[in-house]
Amino acid sequence: MVAMEEEMIVELVKKSISSPQLDGLKVPKAVQIANVSKWFGSFQVLRNVSVDVAVGERVVVCGPSGSGKSTLIRCINQLEKHQQGRIVVNGAELTPGMKGLAAVRRDVGMVFQQFNLFPHLTVLENCTLALVRARKLKRGEAEQVAMQNLERVRIVEQAGKYPRQLSGGQQQRVAIARALCMKPRIMLFDEPTSALDPEMVKEVLDVMTGLANEGMTMICVTHEMGFAREVADRVVFMDGGEIIEQATPSRFFSHPEHDRTKKFLSQILH
Amino acid sequence: MNFDFAFAMRIVPLVLEGIGNTILVAILSFIGATVLGFCWEIVRRSHWMLRPIAQFIIDAIRSTPALVQIYFLFFVLPYYGIVLPAMFVGIFGLSFYYSGYISEVFKAGIDAVPAGQGEAAESLGLSWADTVILVIAPQMLRNIAAPLGAYSIGILKSTPILAVIAVPEMLGSALDVASETYRYAEPMIVAGLLFLLLALIAAACVAALERRLGLVSQSH
Amino acid sequence: MSFLEIMLGIFEGFGITAEVTFFGLLYAIPFALLAGVLQHFARGLGRWTVTAVIEFWRSSSVIVLLYAFYYSLPAFGVYLSAITVGSMVLGLNGGAYASQSVRAALQALDRGQCEAGLALGLSRFSVLRLVELPQAIRAMIPTFINEAIQLIKGTALVSLITLTDMTFRAKEIAQLSYNPVEIYTGLLLSYLILCYPVTILGRYLSTSYSNTGVRINEL
Repeated sequence: MVAMEEEMIVELVKKSISSPQLDGLKVPKAVQIANVSKWFGSFQVLRNVSVDVAVGERVVVCGPSGSGKSTLIRCINQLEKHQQGRIVVNGAELTPGMKGLAAVRRDVGMVFQQFNLFPHLTVLENCTLALVRARKLKRGEAEQVAMQNLERVRIVEQAGKYPRQLSGGQQQRVAIARALCMKPRIMLFDEPTSALDPEMVKEVLDVMTGLANEGMTMICVTHEMGFAREVADRVVFMDGGEIIEQATPSRFFSHPEHDRTKKFLSQILH
Repeated sequence: MNFDFAFAMRIVPLVLEGIGNTILVAILSFIGATVLGFCWEIVRRSHWMLRPIAQFIIDAIRSTPALVQIYFLFFVLPYYGIVLPAMFVGIFGLSFYYSGYISEVFKAGIDAVPAGQGEAAESLGLSWADTVILVIAPQMLRNIAAPLGAYSIGILKSTPILAVIAVPEMLGSALDVASETYRYAEPMIVAGLLFLLLALIAAACVAALERRLGLVSQSH
Repeated sequence: MSFLEIMLGIFEGFGITAEVTFFGLLYAIPFALLAGVLQHFARGLGRWTVTAVIEFWRSSSVIVLLYAFYYSLPAFGVYLSAITVGSMVLGLNGGAYASQSVRAALQALDRGQCEAGLALGLSRFSVLRLVELPQAIRAMIPTFINEAIQLIKGTALVSLITLTDMTFRAKEIAQLSYNPVEIYTGLLLSYLILCYPVTILGRYLSTSYSNTGVRINEL
């Protein structure tokens, strides 16, 4: 029975790939991006991009640098503001100057390439800060939640340390725990392993794989194609601000359709 | 050699009479300069139209000597009927002069906090107020502690300028001794050495204070 | 006296202002380079001595130093002109500050630069002269520009040791006619005209040398 449900979901997801603007599908949408364009000054960085992500889906976004992939996911929590089109996150539409933006952001977790841990706070305090101030938890409760999540990323013994005392891989895992503490419904990853030394990439990818296996909705910008193959439900390839191609990993890597995709893959996978 | 060591030793306490005012003026001017400097930086960042105006004022303050600014205040204010004690004028003048420099310290301190910090805080859903108070400000304070400490000593070393408007601080005391005894060498050297000593002690205190408060910069 | 006459009167002192600034720089720049380099390389007693000299000139109050040197040197049998005393005190004080920037610039250089130079067989001094200093100078330029500005402003203090610079002239005029607003505004304006362009130049240079690029996030 589980296999049948899985097949149904895969079919529905496939349908949503080919017609992203269909409303009323049975699978709830975590993120809906419709005809989004964005300019930095006169330079157009996103060109009429449309893509949806279903709840529980794991999407990897890849592409050459300058393709707009980081900008796209930063639009999802409005760190960048789109100028045209619609973005709906967890049912709420993102508009400029909207009042509930902080509330939307609490449900969307983000992990940055540069970790962005707060250097003046300990690991534990990094995790509890938003819990206490944004979710209004009491200190004791917040610390419990924090410790649970630090346990989840296997770094609980460093709770009292400061970020500068940790390695890059450890810091990034703390950053993931910090985002998880807020119990987000969607996790965004912006090249989470690009700033890490090679030997630390695996520990972070393992944590992300574990999260994926627990059913977290994930949108991940990364160059780690092994991770994409193993974990992603769908790979989205962007270039020059547009989505060129998207497919399941098996199809994407073995039968890419467009020339630009092929070129990118040949450069990445040598 | 015409230098009377015994006389020099004798006048040390006379010169030291002014030290209380020296320190008082220095502290008050430092507070004034920091508050004003902070205000300048807020104004500079608040509205795109105010930016060039505030920047021009800051640059102009830094382009004219403190002595001349003090003269200006001391001689021009009475012309418009504003008569203030010399010490007020002196403190206000030094505050105003150094506020230009300290606003640059705030600017650098705020700019040195990586943009990613604000982004991470926003992503977690923290309000703008919480982001500034709990994430940006603590890091900014660590950045500005050292330059502010340096300027505090600089202000201390600038207080003798006020002797020209008859503020009773250490240099003024030394000049008094000199004009009464017609011997200039000894009081001036005594004043010089005392100021040097004062500056070195103050620098050591500031360094110790920074260490105590753990305000060492977090950069690694 | 009209405002124009006041300004012209003040600018009669420009010659002294310029002279003291010029000679001050002649003291400041060599002292800064020498002291900075020595402090960077010296160890033990030598380093302690250089540091002491630098700290003496850096931690003293400029106006007090001026008075002290001007009035006390004759008591020790040393007779220097007021211009020499003025430019020396201002120059060495400024040079002491700048020496710290020289030292920091040298320290910030990649060690590999020095190692590469030595590996090529250059003498240590040649490495310093041909490899390290040229690179470090770029980082020091904003500081030197700042020193120039500080010197120009510092010359106002020499009016107190009887040099007839712009400030002295202004005070002279003030004795003749009671017009504080025009006179002191004119004096402020005079220094502004001299220093403001240099301040702008300094700020432009320091932003182009430091790492403050625009933060456009990686696309």
